[in-house]
Amino acid sequence: MKSLTIKNLSKTYFDPYAGANVTAVHDISLRVEQGEFVSIVGPSGCGKTTLLNMLAGFIPPSGGSIMIDDKPVKGPGADRGVVFQTFALFPWKTVLENVGFGPRMRGLPAADCDRIAREFLSLVGLEHAADRYPNELSGGMQQRVGVVRALANNPDVLLMDEPFASVDAQTRMTLQEELTRIWQERRPTILFITHDVAESVFLGDRVVVLSKGRVLEDMPIALERPRVWEHLIEADTFKALSAQVLHKVRSA
Amino acid sequence: MNMARQLWSIYLRFTSRFPSLRNIIPFIPLLAAWTLVTELGVFPRAFLPGPTDVLNAFGTLTYKGVLTQYLEDSVVRLAVGAAFGTALGIPLGVLVGLNARIRNAVWPLLLFFQAIGDIAWLPILLVWFGFSLTTMTLVIVYTVLFPIVLNTSLGVRSVSPDLHRAALSLGASKLRVVWEVVLPGALPNIITGLRNGLGYGWRALIATEIIVGTSGIGFMMFDARRAGSVVEILLGMVVLGLLWYLVDGWVLAPIERATGRRWGLVTQ
Repeated sequence: MKSLTIKNLSKTYFDPYAGANVTAVHDISLRVEQGEFVSIVGPSGCGKTTLLNMLAGFIPPSGGSIMIDDKPVKGPGADRGVVFQTFALFPWKTVLENVGFGPRMRGLPAADCDRIAREFLSLVGLEHAADRYPNELSGGMQQRVGVVRALANNPDVLLMDEPFASVDAQTRMTLQEELTRIWQERRPTILFITHDVAESVFLGDRVVVLSKGRVLEDMPIALERPRVWEHLIEADTFKALSAQVLHKVRSA
Repeated sequence: MNMARQLWSIYLRFTSRFPSLRNIIPFIPLLAAWTLVTELGVFPRAFLPGPTDVLNAFGTLTYKGVLTQYLEDSVVRLAVGAAFGTALGIPLGVLVGLNARIRNAVWPLLLFFQAIGDIAWLPILLVWFGFSLTTMTLVIVYTVLFPIVLNTSLGVRSVSPDLHRAALSLGASKLRVVWEVVLPGALPNIITGLRNGLGYGWRALIATEIIVGTSGIGFMMFDARRAGSVVEILLGMVVLGLLWYLVDGWVLAPIERATGRRWGLVTQ
């Protein structure tokens, strides 16, 4: 796991319907330390997905630089694992094959891929689902697979794009707790994008509030770990931090 | 009313116990009507022979080996043509589906040449290649090609961009993405294309055999017309229908069940 450094990153599109340039990301500089968990929160249209797509290498930036430690990012690559809002599991591969996909692309022998995949599935209690196809699983289970598929490839940085936005509220809380637990065990560097204020505070070491393509606020979250909803939901510190972040988001 | 319901429920229970009957039972009224019409002598027997006559002809021609030989000829021609058509069509469809520039350049041509359907090519092919196997194979390749290209490109474009991205960010090369993501994602459409292509190809083949006329089911039917043997014409028609039914039910449908349906890409 390594650090992620973003310097003066910007993205300008030409919108052919408006006939004008639109700036989605405006001169963002940000650093995520090795093993740090940073949440980025903002209303829709604040440029957070554009930012993540540039970090993942799916779209080229218009200006600025992205570095993993001191290596510049060019295009998509296995050094940055991505967890998608749509899960993006391969429907024609079993759960085991999905999780073993990254290792297989690295050219590891099949037996090793399977071993790694099973090890990571056990992290989220899904060893029993190894031979099933994604469409046979619930949404929550599918995204558990999505998370460990990215982790099994041992990326330097894990990029998560509103990964829990499309599961039901109870499952979402469980997934959030599981994610913090896994993060504490393995300490990956995580950049987590969400529009959910409570989620951003619950998960992050820091919360970055994005507005109109700029960083509006960069706030440390000094909450103890492990974080558990049953405790935090009543805690004044959590409520105060959430209110602070919410205020910033709404002022945007 | 009540009795009809009871019969219906008997039918349902019966067919759920023996599912293969569901494929046979619909033909029974048809056969019965055919028998009735011929037995009543509505039309002269020489114009409309009954099912038993056709069955007898089937027996004789199979015994003589003519039918089996012709059937083999037809099926082999279709298989060879379809193999070439598929081998050309899938890569072309993937290319057209993945690359917008190629698609824009090629699409009008595809539609243009698709419209000049199969046997419309026969006159010029006969001039170029004569009454030969080449002519027949080319017609089939041509007929099979277009449904496969069009459906494959449609399937390729229907694969979610997130799946491409997921594979790339897991370390897959672009070529690997085609193999691991694009092709399996397009498979339900490819099978649809194959299904349509084989269906059209089969029809084109019969038409071609009638014109090129050396052997095959189409030739058998046309030859029977010359000899005034309506039985053999009907036999040819029955064989065409049955053969397609078998190919579809025993080859294409099981592939579809094992892939698209299992993966949840095709629902119902």
